[in-house]
Order: sequence, then structure tokens, then C-alpha cells
Amino acid sequence: MIEALQFEFIQHALVAGVLVSFAAGIIGSLIVVNRMVFLAGGIAHASYGGIGLAIFFGIPVFLGASLFAVAAALLIASLTLHSRHRIDTFIGLIWAVGMAIGIIFTDMTPGYNVDLMSYLFGSILAVTAEDLYFMGILLGVILFVMIFWYRDILAVSYDSEYATLRGISVRFFYTLILVLSALTVVIAIKVVGLILVIAMLTIPVYIAEKLSHSLFSMMFISGLIATFFTLVGLWFSYAYNLTSGASIILVSAVLLGVFLLLFPKK
Amino acid sequence: MKKTVPVIEVKNLTFAYDKQIILDNISLAVEEKDFLAIIGPNGGGKSTLLKLLLGILKSKQGSIEIMGKSPSQSVSLIGYVPQNTNINTDFPIKVIEVVLMGHVGSKKPLFGYGKEEIACAMGALEQVGMGAFAQSKIGSLSGGQRQRVMIARALCAHPKILMLDEPTSNIDIQGQREIYELLKILNQNMTVIVVSHDISVILEYANKAAHINKRLSFHDISDKKMMFHPHSQEEHFCEVELLQMLGTQKDHRYAKKENQIKWSTKK
Repeated sequence: MIEALQFEFIQHALVAGVLVSFAAGIIGSLIVVNRMVFLAGGIAHASYGGIGLAIFFGIPVFLGASLFAVAAALLIASLTLHSRHRIDTFIGLIWAVGMAIGIIFTDMTPGYNVDLMSYLFGSILAVTAEDLYFMGILLGVILFVMIFWYRDILAVSYDSEYATLRGISVRFFYTLILVLSALTVVIAIKVVGLILVIAMLTIPVYIAEKLSHSLFSMMFISGLIATFFTLVGLWFSYAYNLTSGASIILVSAVLLGVFLLLFPKK
Repeated sequence: MKKTVPVIEVKNLTFAYDKQIILDNISLAVEEKDFLAIIGPNGGGKSTLLKLLLGILKSKQGSIEIMGKSPSQSVSLIGYVPQNTNINTDFPIKVIEVVLMGHVGSKKPLFGYGKEEIACAMGALEQVGMGAFAQSKIGSLSGGQRQRVMIARALCAHPKILMLDEPTSNIDIQGQREIYELLKILNQNMTVIVVSHDISVILEYANKAAHINKRLSFHDISDKKMMFHPHSQEEHFCEVELLQMLGTQKDHRYAKKENQIKWSTKK
């Protein structure tokens, strides 16, 4: 096992696992307490449209996916803030249309035999140095936003009506949370893939919520738990030659089951 | 009775959603250290009036002055306790953090919470008798305790006026009584305005009552108080009688209807 650590791709995978796990722990906590899981699901799947477009136009996939996911997040934010009739229908629509765009554009890319699976289920063992920079910068941005605006984000998440009365812009922070979710989803796609990303954003958070007395501790504990799940999943993946994203999610689900059995009252 | 300057003065206020008139030509003057009960049927405009006073809603006709200022300029003068404080109880947040939200953002530090803010929030919690629960998770409290925390949050900004929207819905009888006893103490230093269905209890504590059903009828009930005191009236009595005592017989049709649905009982 130890000898695996000398491979560069394993080192990259481990660093990516830790960076993405902490980003997912922090943003996942915000998504769960704000009841945005369905919205995040929509953004995650819609981002496939960006992947397809990026492949077709020959721009970096990370960039295409990020731009498209942020656009989807802004669209969903504006729909939600104007509390449009049947909003869940529209989010379902964004969810599916994004994927459809992605598939059509990869179909149309001449001579490109795209490995669809790697985007759907992740390819953590193919993380490059540039990917790591992107992940590191995003985690830095998330940490900065959380430290700088913690009390405002807490107020908006807990009681948006009261936050408005205290002069905090609910619109701004709601949109900010969704945009950060979109970017987190994009880096998490590299680790677990867009189909499985929602599990990574919610399972550690579910456990952490039961163990925390504050949003801050929930985020920190979620980050630790997600890191643990990711590293154990990676080990399984390496030792038994399994798909890494699926291994991470199954490890998470099994350990969630163990947690529920050990602490049924929680 | 000595006359004081009104802290809230509403003049000829009319408010409508689209074409449906909610409040029709309402005037109201609340004096310093009044305890005003706003009562009336569901959909009668009680919460709308509160939202207008808070500046959440704006009306095109009539005027509202709060200590000589418009509602949106007087945010820091008003402490507000919203309805439905039982929502979001799974949220991982400590009692002290909820109270800290009450600060108005004048002297915010760059990161986190200032020492003075925390001391002030603790003081507000002590005031409502919840100091020992500062580090508890909000979800672990009872409905009545949570309501006290929300009152502490409103007190955090040192308001001159405290407004509460249905503060005792979903709270047991003992908890309700405790909330009103607390409001009575707070009333010594500030004006208190309570929107409530529970008129028999609220009238025991209030010195002014405003009945709102599109129009407003206003009553100084500080002298009539004995009539409503539980010890003088052992029997349970209903809203019809109360409304008649308040001289709102015009609303008799409504009162009769309400009467069939809800009796306010007292021991």
C-alpha cells in the first residue's frame, strides 16, 4: 500500500480528495441547512452541458463546466428568488436540458470518443496539477467567504425574514451560496462524478449535523468525515481495482448505516 | 391622565394588495410604555399592519411615523419577534448565535462577533431568564423557551418598541403565562405591541386594544381591566362578550361566527 504513495497520480488523488472533501463539507452544510439539495442536483447535472460544449469548442473542460454551472446557478437563483410557480418543474427542466446539451455536443464532436463515464462517475486518479490549483483556489475562496461573511450567511440561512429586517441582502447571499455550490460541484465531478456528487455533498453533512451545535462545527466535522470517506474509498478502489467515485460513495453509505445503527436516536 | 407624545402615529392609512383592500383608512396613536393588543379575525389585517410598521410593506395612502421617523428609518427603534418561531428547529445553531443576529450592523467587527456584542447578547438572555442556555442548540429548547430566545434577540438592539406577532401560538398554557409576565416586566421600560388571537389573556395585560377587521376600532381598556380579570370572572367567556364589552357590536356577525369555532377558556 505504502509503495503506491510514490506514484504521482496517487499523490494528486490524495491531495484532490482532501481539498474537495473540505469544500464539499462546507458547501454541503450550506446546501442542506438551506434546503437546496434539489437545486444543487439540478446544477450538478446541468453542468454536463458545459462539459459537452467545452469538448465541442475545444476549451478546457473545467472552464466550460464552471461557466455553465455558474450560469445554471444564477438562473436557478433568480427563479427561486422570484418564487416562480412550479419552480421544481423548472429546476427539473434545467437538470435534464443541461445533460441533453452535453450529450448532443459530444455526439457532434468529430472523431472524439469521449469517456462519458469519467464525468458521470469521476476520475480522481486522472487529476492533473492544474486541477489541483483550481481546487486549491476554490477552497481558498470558500474559506474566505465563510470567514468574512459567516454571521450574515448564518442569519440568512437560519431566518431569512429577520435577516432582511436587519439589512442583510438575502438575495445576494442566496445567490452567492448557489454560485459556490456550482463551483464545488464542478471540482467534485473530478472526484466522484456528477451522478454521485449529491451523495458526497449530503452524507457527511447528515452525520455532522447530529454531532454539531453550530453551523461552523457542522462544516468542519463534515469536512473531516468527507475526507475520511474519500480516503477509505480510494484505498478500496486501489486495492480491489474498482471505480473510485463509486467506491467513495458506497463507503460513505455503509458508514452512514453504521452510524445510524450505533446512534439510532440521533 | 397625563398626555405623552405618541411613539407611533398612524394617520389615515389605507393598504391594498392589488385591488383587495386590507386596511381601510386606519388611524392609531400609541403612547410611550403602552401595552397595545392588536386583535381581530384571521385575514383582518393584523399582521399587515405590523409589517407596515416594520417597513417590510409600504403603503401609498396615509402616513406612519415612529418617534417622528418613517418605518424604514426606525429599524433600530423596534424589536421584532416574528410568528412561527418553531420553524427550522433542526438548524445547528446555538442560542447565543440566534440572539447575536439581533444586532444592527453599525459597529460590526470585520470577522465574527465583538466582545461587546456577546456581552450584550448575554445580557438580553439573562433578561428573559435564558442565560443558562446560551450554549445550547436551539432545537433542544421547548417552544416557550425558544420564544424567550426570540424576545432576547429582539432586545439585543435596545429597542424602544417591542412588537410580537402571535407570540404564544403553539405554546402550552404555563409557557404562555410566563411569556406575558415577561412582557409585563419589559413593558416598564418600553412600549409593547402584541398581535394575538388569544384575546382573553392578552387583555389582562394590555392597557390599549385595537380591533382590526379592515377598519380599526381603538380602545383604552386600562380602566376596564377588572372586567377581564380572571379572578373576577370564574366562568369561561367568549369573544362575543369581549368584543361587546369593547363596543364592537358592529362586528357581531363575525363574532358570532368566530364564537362557534373558538372559545377562549379560563379557569
